[in-house]
Amino acid sequence: MVIEVENLVKRYGEITAVNDISFDVNAGEVFGMLGPNGAGKTTTVEIIEGLRDADAGRVSVLGLDVSKVPAKIKQRIGVQLQAPTLIPLLNVQETLHMFAGFYERSLSVDEVLDLLALQDSRKVLVKNLSGGQQQRLSVALSLINDPDIAFLDEPTTGLDPQARHGLWSVIEEMRKKGKTVFLTTHYMEEAEQLCDRVAVIDYGKIIAMGSPEQLIYENFEESAIQFEMEPPPSIEVLQALPGAANVALDSNEIIVYSKNVPATLAAIMRYSEEGGEDRQLKNLFVRRATLEDVFLKLTGRRIRE
Amino acid sequence: MKALRRLLVADFRQFVRDRTALFFTIAFPVLFMVIFGLVFAGEADVSYKIGVVNNDPSGRGQTIVAVLDSMDFFETTDGELDVMLEDLEDGDVRAVVVIPEELGSATAQEPVDITVYYDPSQSTSSQIILSILRETMNQIDRQITQQLPVLQLNEESVQSKDLRSIDYLVPGIVAMSIMILGLFGSLTLVEWREKKILKRFAATPVNKPTMVSSQVIYRLVLALVQTAIILVIAYFAFDIEVTGSWLLLIGLVLLGTLSFISLGYLAVSRAKTTEGAMPIIQILQFPMLFLSGIFFPVEFFPSFMKPIVDAIPVTYLGDGLRQVMVDATPLHSMTTNFAVLGGWLVVCLILAIRFFKWE
Repeated sequence: MVIEVENLVKRYGEITAVNDISFDVNAGEVFGMLGPNGAGKTTTVEIIEGLRDADAGRVSVLGLDVSKVPAKIKQRIGVQLQAPTLIPLLNVQETLHMFAGFYERSLSVDEVLDLLALQDSRKVLVKNLSGGQQQRLSVALSLINDPDIAFLDEPTTGLDPQARHGLWSVIEEMRKKGKTVFLTTHYMEEAEQLCDRVAVIDYGKIIAMGSPEQLIYENFEESAIQFEMEPPPSIEVLQALPGAANVALDSNEIIVYSKNVPATLAAIMRYSEEGGEDRQLKNLFVRRATLEDVFLKLTGRRIRE
Repeated sequence: MKALRRLLVADFRQFVRDRTALFFTIAFPVLFMVIFGLVFAGEADVSYKIGVVNNDPSGRGQTIVAVLDSMDFFETTDGELDVMLEDLEDGDVRAVVVIPEELGSATAQEPVDITVYYDPSQSTSSQIILSILRETMNQIDRQITQQLPVLQLNEESVQSKDLRSIDYLVPGIVAMSIMILGLFGSLTLVEWREKKILKRFAATPVNKPTMVSSQVIYRLVLALVQTAIILVIAYFAFDIEVTGSWLLLIGLVLLGTLSFISLGYLAVSRAKTTEGAMPIIQILQFPMLFLSGIFFPVEFFPSFMKPIVDAIPVTYLGDGLRQVMVDATPLHSMTTNFAVLGGWLVVCLILAIRFFKWE
């Protein structure tokens, strides 16, 4: 175990941002912390990184107590903060070089530039970088000390799809090297794609933990039938559909989790035809359940507002 | 050490890329000096008419009149007080010096006042005249109380005439530049805090003393470079040579910079944003600029301002620099100057460490 968190609590005034959570992260795994904005992800990560003090609980990283020897731990972890926070008047290469000087051990600047595909912008001042480039530099900085654990806080927010997939391959690369990656994200498909295990967090509490497959399997034997209807049918109508196990209704977007897809689908079609103009079906598709559905089932809300 | 070195390199890289910083640290003081230098250079050719009313029958009064007479800067006329004052009102003379009757019997224990009437509406010339009169009187006074021969007094008076306005001004510009450099330097940490750059650094093994040291060392180097540039230009443009000890000069520059940096850090310790910190620094800077005696001798200020003048650190930095650079008459001893600057440094440093918010 490279990270052990026991009964962690953090309060800000009246608000309990992190409410008695415990979990472990194994060496070499990509661990995801998943939850909506304000769920307590960043607070938890920043306590583990030694950037904030906990109100209660114990955190150890690489076998060392965070509250006792933060400097020692910081040598061996890499940190990417949520918003890129860099010095505007330094260029990419200079920024990496400066950070490399903070550590006893570091990778060469070139190596990291290659890894994050930043070679072309190595001489560009930080203030002139695009949002995506800044984000990649920010990730590059978290890898400059060849860390045992990399903490990436929403690393793909604001990236275009291509850059996002580029970053995913960086994380895969880390996994191959046997490094541990601690990822927070509110992108469910990202967590499903990358993470060996995820902890789903909401209102400062872990509400589910396990591999993405396991979480989906435990919560859903069903497939999801998703469609729009204007006006939406009532919950009662939906729940009465044959095969329907569970129903989620979000404005006029409807998800029916069904154990018997053909029967449910046929019933939905019939219902729509009976209503004629008033019950027009739109954007109907069938898919397997995802982490997003798990979150919806556990909290009654979608992860993104 | 490696971390400190890399931070310093980064500081200087930013400096040369930051046009505002370049302007205020290098161009601004130089422009300031050159403009004022040209203004005063024009006036230096002019001699001012002053009236002298000598009520002292002893030789001392006559000595003063003789000294003032001998100066190219002044054209003296003597006469009765009321006539002279009328001339002053009419603008025929720029100032009237009244030597009291008791001058002959004055001792160090029982000093007497020499009164100067001047026209405050003619502020520039009045200030110049007053500063030169003050210098001259100080020189004469020193000679009289030390009871040295009158012959030497004349020699001395020639030297005191040499203290031109620009001589008074250049050390003031050095002090001003150091103050601006130190005070505004504190904004970097505020900006880093606001932009969460400090937080990013906190996630690395770099500690706060290293971060602050890099900032402080960087400003000390800048202060020395800045002073050197001002001195070089002052030497070539205005023929000003440093008369005193270079070691003392460097010591004053470094200590002054440190004091103002810590004062700056204290002032912005709770400011949340750079926008919020900027006015705090400016509010601090303006009175210090004008009440410090950097540009005008402190005698010009109304007496209720004297305590402020005596409290602010620029006064002592300016005075120290003036003594070292142009051998001006001391307002305070060098020890006092160093002690007051050091005192400000220690107090501000302790308070800044106590109050500075890192996040």
